[in-house]
Parts: sequence; structure tokens; C-alpha cells
Amino acid sequence: MRIDQTHRPWILRTGALFLLALLAYVPYSLFSYNGPSGGSSLGLIYGVAGYLLMIFAALLSVRKKFRIWRIGRAQTWMRGHLWLGLLSYPLIFFHAGFSWGHGLARLLMWIVSIVIVSGLLGAALQHYMPRMITERVPMETIYNQIHRVQEQLLGEADDLMGSLSPEQNEYGLIVPSSGPAATMTTTSTAVQLSQHSADKLRQMYDDTIKPYLAHRGSRGQSMADEATSKAMFAQLRTVAPDSIGTVIDDLENICQEKRDLDRQSRLQRMLQGWLLVHIPLSYLLLTLVAIHAIMALRY
Amino acid sequence: MNRPAEPASSTVQLTIDEKTVTVPLGTTVFDAARMNGIEIPVLCHQQNEIPAGVCRVCVVDVGGRAYQAACIRPAEAGMVVRTRTKEVEAARKTLLELMMADHPTPCVRQQHTGDCELETLASEYEAKGNRYPRREVARGRDDSSLTILVDHAACILCDRCVRACADLRHNFVIARQGKGYGAGIAFDMDDPMGGSTCVSCGECMVSCPTGALTNKGVVGQRLESGLSCETEDLLRLPVFEGVSGTFLDLNRGSVMKRRVKQGEVLFHEGEYGSTAFYILEGQMEISISSPRGHVDTERGASGLFNILKNKLVGRKEHRRVDENMARTHISIDAPVELAYDDPVGQLGPGDLFGEMTCMSFYPRSATARAATDCLILEMLRNVLDVLQKNKTFRAKLDNDYRQRALETHLRTVPIFAGVTTEFINDLRQRVELVRYAPGEVIFRQGDLADAFYLVRIGFVKVSENYPGGELVLAYLSKGNCFGEIGLLGGGKRTATCSALDHLEVVRIAADDFKAMLQQFPETRAKLEAISAERLRENQVRFKQVSTVPVDEFLRQGLMEAENLLVLDLDRCTRCDQCVTACADAHGGVTRLIRDGLRLDHFLIATSCRHCRDPLCMVGCPVGAIRRQNSLEVIIEDWCIGCGLCATNCPYGNINLQEFKVDGPASDELAALGAGQESAKKKARVVRKATSCNLCNDYPEPSCVYACPHDAAHRVNAADFLGGLAKK
Repeated sequence: MRIDQTHRPWILRTGALFLLALLAYVPYSLFSYNGPSGGSSLGLIYGVAGYLLMIFAALLSVRKKFRIWRIGRAQTWMRGHLWLGLLSYPLIFFHAGFSWGHGLARLLMWIVSIVIVSGLLGAALQHYMPRMITERVPMETIYNQIHRVQEQLLGEADDLMGSLSPEQNEYGLIVPSSGPAATMTTTSTAVQLSQHSADKLRQMYDDTIKPYLAHRGSRGQSMADEATSKAMFAQLRTVAPDSIGTVIDDLENICQEKRDLDRQSRLQRMLQGWLLVHIPLSYLLLTLVAIHAIMALRY
Repeated sequence: MNRPAEPASSTVQLTIDEKTVTVPLGTTVFDAARMNGIEIPVLCHQQNEIPAGVCRVCVVDVGGRAYQAACIRPAEAGMVVRTRTKEVEAARKTLLELMMADHPTPCVRQQHTGDCELETLASEYEAKGNRYPRREVARGRDDSSLTILVDHAACILCDRCVRACADLRHNFVIARQGKGYGAGIAFDMDDPMGGSTCVSCGECMVSCPTGALTNKGVVGQRLESGLSCETEDLLRLPVFEGVSGTFLDLNRGSVMKRRVKQGEVLFHEGEYGSTAFYILEGQMEISISSPRGHVDTERGASGLFNILKNKLVGRKEHRRVDENMARTHISIDAPVELAYDDPVGQLGPGDLFGEMTCMSFYPRSATARAATDCLILEMLRNVLDVLQKNKTFRAKLDNDYRQRALETHLRTVPIFAGVTTEFINDLRQRVELVRYAPGEVIFRQGDLADAFYLVRIGFVKVSENYPGGELVLAYLSKGNCFGEIGLLGGGKRTATCSALDHLEVVRIAADDFKAMLQQFPETRAKLEAISAERLRENQVRFKQVSTVPVDEFLRQGLMEAENLLVLDLDRCTRCDQCVTACADAHGGVTRLIRDGLRLDHFLIATSCRHCRDPLCMVGCPVGAIRRQNSLEVIIEDWCIGCGLCATNCPYGNINLQEFKVDGPASDELAALGAGQESAKKKARVVRKATSCNLCNDYPEPSCVYACPHDAAHRVNAADFLGGLAKK
């Protein structure tokens, strides 16, 4: 979600609420006898308000489960989550009188801080990263389908290599497997390929290209680096005849596509990764705050 | 002194190949020889035709300066004829070699039956034809007729077909056209044979000495055996009056007589088939058993409560009341229209039905069940084609249509729905049924408007020329009319209309149309309003197309999209809420995929594009898929779920969804006996085609509503592209 001028009404309203809370807090903190505390009337009001805003923010995930219920546009809920969730943070501080407290209260302060920071990080990522993905991944695919596309790429590469293998040639253009006149055939043409070139291509495919295509991600794979990949294919072209140039081009394109998929995966993980922190801690926070409230009110 | 003249002798005596023969005066040398057991080879002549002397293969030496064609040279007294001298044989061989040089060897006839007369004779004379250069420009084939294949390359211009058509059958369809290398046979005004007035009697085919005219037959289709259907039996039926026995002989097995017992279902709606039916005796009931209604949009397919609810209640049908207002009848592939609220019709002796399925292989539009014991004829498309071209049968069909079907047909057209009986009676004598072959142009944009048309069978493609190319506005099926804008407006056609398949239209000439409207000003007012509306839409569309960079857009079929789903990729976090919301709204099956064409930082997601050439509309047997005035493609609620539109959609944006209705189909109900009341209550599952309906029972499409990032938008294509162009 881009945070642009369409967010201005939310920013203004949130800012106004914050100022209101601040205006109430200043005399309260200056003139209260024991200083600001969570147990005072105003402190409780801040605490309850902060907790309600947290609950509202958490309801976004419920709203997302019931996508077609006409209970307000998802976009409105998302903006409310962002700005009202953010507003809960100063309210909690007003509630605690800017004290980090001890025990459970301290833990809660840490958790709420992490939740808020992770949320802000998420908002920043969602602001910048969609454009980055659009620019860096021109042939984007559906994220859930990436592994399927990867399997298809591997299949295509195997087929390409298979088409160079005499045993699998559908036209039966069999060629001696050794000697200087050894021939490899593609499905469309029979090409003369020296034993050296054949070995080189097969070895590069088996040792480097195939593992890279089969591997999820790019860690430890030399082909993951574009410059290295280009250099390897360029070297291969010097020993292979022009007639299999198209096969090499296709293999190089397949590797390029795999790199795009890996990049998309990586960017997508970055875009969604903060949720792994934000969501569990949010639920933990809500639970612990409820416990904190019960304990504080009871004891 | 003058002696009185002797009466002329009635016979002549001449010598042929050293044999003295006497023949009646006026006999040709060819006949004189044949009568006396002397065979003279010939290609252009056969006994039942008047000789023309064009092939010259029958040349003989009669002692003159030049050889004479025996088939046209009259025998004379004292004539000495030599038919087999070395020189005559050499001349014949040269002629055969010249013909063989242009002949595709082996021709179709030689391949199939081995009796091409030219190739047989050439083989006898060892004339191969390779001494002379072959023609460089192919003369082509005419595959337009359903019954006869015309291979112009195999034609030797013998004129046997021309004489057979004119002299024997008095049809006068075939003639010679062109001269020199351009010479050939032609049908009517050089029309394709299938589009000419040829009645497919088959006489030309049996007269042709080569493979230039051959019987096509119907490949890969066979009728189940029925009652005896010998040619003699068929010819005794009034329906085959005037049909060539030769044709029926050649196409034995293409038509069968059948008995259908009362209650027996002949075919079900949505089934595929390839035959048409003609009722000889009895009554058939024809009906649509699929309920009127759309698949209802579900309020959420996820969550325990919704899953339980959907399991227990099932999907429901849903009537869009606003769409049904104008339709009182549903058009089907039969000479009756079915009332919208009670879609059951009766067919009786003399009715022909299933023509669209037979000619164009569309699914059956309704279920046919025998109301009484019936005797019917089932036929393949070659027989149906011949029947439809048969003058006697056509006259009967035309008359039946005027008397019985015109009124209900007119009432299916919304603008004529409320016309008076007087109006119909006035129209009855003015209409003409006209047929068009697939691809044939009915009129072009800019032509003078000379008639008004109603579609009776088949589909009409309506297109306009734009700077970016041709734009298909609509595919009109039965129940639609066209041509009124030209007649009511400036007198010029504003679009090109052509036959998409085997088409039959009801034509009302311009003068009759205008006279009729003068008499009935109310109908005129309705037509003028519709005409003005369509003209306005044309102008708006033209403006849109002229101001927008359309190349890629047109190529992708996006131009006419009134409601494209556009995703702003700079905002979209790829969370797929839009896709899952769509699936939730439509029973777990999404109608959009977050993939498609990218323009700048926008993604045009794959959902119904309302294409400029909406192929999904082609072939709907009940005309249930159409464009609205806003150009959105919608599926009417009388869809029978045959799935043809889903198959035709190149983008996979139409799905078939199932939902439960209570009670068996009408044909099943009829088949149930007494005491099976419980079975009548049993629910059944029916299928309906669905495409993106913009969640029209919600104020906003679910995909847009569920997007938390303000990335999904439904936009007008032209506005959207216009905005991009300004950037």
C-alpha cells in the first residue's frame, strides 16, 4: 500500500486525536499528585483506549477472512489498522506515564514496541517494494505458482538436452557417440558436434545448470549470479558449433527466467516476512494485555 | 419437260472403316458408327445430351481437308469414314496429351472409383501429357457445396455438366465463363457452388467425365440403421418431390426413416449432434427443461458456517428481473419459439427441426420428446442441404413459415413484441426467406440500404471498420434483427453484416418495410428510437477508438472492455485478496486470475474482457449470450449449460457451474410413471455458464471491495488508456 496524499484525512484525524490525548496528558502529568500512572482514572482511560485501538487493528485479519461481507471496504480497514494502530502506541505510553515498568508491564512495553516497529517496517516495505518488484521482475508469475513454473523450466531444459541425445531423437537420426565425427541431433536438425563439445555441454548441464534449476532458491549456486552465468555460456559457445546456438540460447534464457523467479521469491519474502514477527506478537500482545488488565484491576 | 422431283430418301448409305452402313438421314457419324458396332472414343458427348463437339477426341477422316468431329458431323450419302487410321490415332493422342498436360493425375475420381474417362482413354493411347508444359497458375477448387466438390483443375471444358444442368434438368445454373487460359465452368454469376442457386440434383456430377465434379458424401458420420430407406421409397415421399434420384443413390445411408414411441426422447438440450429431423407422422414436444435463472452469488464460500450452509442448502438460481423484461419468447433450433414462462412447443407433420445442429454442429437447443408415436426422417447435412435447395420443399417451408412461425418469430424480437395481428398479416406476404453460405457478405458498410432482416437460422457477424481494423460489434442469432439503421437513417449501411455459418434470414425489402412502417407509426417510433440509440453508441465508440493508442489493446481484445480489472502494481502487494474474494463470491471458483497484459505499471487481470470479437457468442443454440448496450457480454438466464461459450472463449474466462434445483427435468417427469411421486421431489443438479458478472448483486465487485491496498480498480478501457496516453 502506498502512503500517499489519499492518506491525508487519516493522518489529520489521527494527528488530531493524538493532540487531544497529548493536551489531556500534559496537565495530567504536571499536576497529578503521584505523577501519571496506569491506575489513575485518566491512565485507565488511556489504557482502555489504547487496547481498543489494538483490538480494532487486530480485527483486520478477521475482516480479511470475510472478504465479501459488506462491512466496509478492505482498504478502509487497512488504513484504520495503520493509523489507529499507530495511535495506540502513544496512548499506551500515556497510560504508563512513559515508564517501562516491571515484569509483565515491561514485557508488554517491549512487545508493543516491537509490534509497532515491525508494523512501521511493513508499511514502509509495502510502500516501496511493490514498485521494486514491478521494475525488477518483468516476467512476474503468481507467487504460489513459482515452484510449478520452476518445475516446468527444469522440464524444458531436460527436453532441450534430450533433443540433443541420439537415443531420444524422434527422427531416429542416430549418430556415433564417440569419435571426431560424432553427431548430436536436435528435433529439427542434425548437427555435427565434436566429442569435446558434447562432453562440455553435458558436463555443464549436469554439474551446474540442472542443479541450479532443480534447487529452490539460489544459495550456493554459481548460476545465480548473472555475470557468472553469462561468462559460462559465452565459454560454452566458443566450443560448440553455431548449429546448436539456439539450444544454448534457450538454456541461457531458462536460467535467466529462474533467476527472475528467485528474485521474485526473495522480494516477495521480504515483502511478507515482517508479518512473521508482527502477527504472532500482536496476538500475544492482545492476550497479555488482557491478562495485565485483569491482574491490575483485580489486585 | 420438267420431271417431277423425287422424294428425298429417308436414309443415307456410307462407308465406315470399310464397312457399308445405312442410317437414317440426320444421323451423326458418331451415332452411325455406334449403331453398327464401331466404337469411336469421345469425352464431351454422351447419348442423352445434344452433341457439342468441343473435345475433338472423336475426330475421324471423312476425306476432306480437315478431320471432322464425329459427334456433330452428319452422315452423308457416299461418305467414306476412317476412324482408326494411324494419322487419326496420332491426332487423338495429341489431343489427349494436351488435356492430360492440364489434368491432375490421378484426379479425385480416378483415386476413388478409378473411372476417370480421360485418364482411362489416355492410358489406352499411352498419352502421358508430359510432352507439354503444365499450367503454372492453379485453377483451384470450390468446396462450398455440401454435396459436390468442384475441382476446376480436372475440368476439360467438355460442357457435359452445362448441358446436363440446362437441357436435362432445366436448372440453368452452370455455364462457361472466361476464355483461353481463363476459361472454366461457373455457377450463376461465377458464385461459389454452395452459394449459387444450384439445387444439388447431382446431374452435373454424374455427367462429368473426370474428377472435376465429384460426390463429397459425409465423411465420418453414419446414421444408426432405421426403417428401409431405398431411393424408390424416399422418392415416393412428398418431401423428396423433385429431388434427384441420382443424388439419393449416391448418398445412400444419409437419410433414415425412424419410428419414435410416445414418450421417447429424441435428443436432450445441450447434446451435440449432426442430424436434422423431419416429421412425417405424429407430434413431437420440444422444450427447455433447464430452469430460467442464474447461478446465485454466494455470500462467502469459506468459514465453517458458510461451508455448512452451502452443503445443506446448495447453490440457488437467481432471476435478474430487469434482464427478462423484454423477452417473452426463447428462440430455438425449430420452427417454433418457446414462451419464456412455459418453454414447451409442439411440432407436427411437415416440420423440419435441428437444422443448425445439422449444418453447423451446434449443440441441441432444446429437448425433443415424442408426444405421440411418430414417424420421422433423420438426415445428414448433405441431404438437408439438397432439401433446402429443392424448389418444392423450399416453397413449402416458406409457406409454413409465413403461416405458422412468422408471428412467434417476430414476437421474439423485442421491438416487434407488441405488434398487432393486423401488422403480422400485412407482413406475411412481404417476407422472403434468403439463405447465405458461411462467410458470405449480406451487405457492406457504406452500401445502399435495400432491406430489413430478421435472423431465422444461424449467426450474423456485424462489424465496423475502424482505424485499428475491423471491430466485431455483435454476433446476431435467431430472434435478432438488423438493417434498420440504414433504412431509417441516411440510407447507407453503417456496418458490414456477413453470414458466420449457414444462415437463413427473413428479408423485407426496403419499400415494403417503409410502407409497413407508414401504416404502423407505433412500430416506426420504436425502431427509430433503437436506431438513434445504436447510432449514438457508434459515434461514442468511434470517438473512443480514434483517440486511444490501440494497437496492443486491440490485439489483446481489450478495446471494448467497459469494466477492465486493472491492478496498480506499484500498490499491489500480491496478496491475492482479489482472487480469493472472487472465489468466495462464486462458490470457490475464481473468475479472475492475477495475470495478464502489463501496461506501464498496470496489470490487466484475466477476467471477462468483453472482447471486440466475442467468440463466446458464436453458436449459442438458444442465443443466451449477448452484448448489452454497454457492450458488456452477459449470459441470459435461459442458458442451457451446453458449455459451447466456455469452449469458445480464448481466455478461459467462462466457467460452467453446477447448482441444485428441485424436481426432475420436464422430459424425465414425463417419463416417470404413476406411483413415483417421491422421485418427482428429488433434487437434481443443472449447469449454467458463468463469467464475471461484476458481482452485480453487490454495489461493487468483490475483487475491488476486498483489495486492502487500493490497487484493484474496475475501469473503462478507453478512459484508462486515454489516461496512460497523456502520461
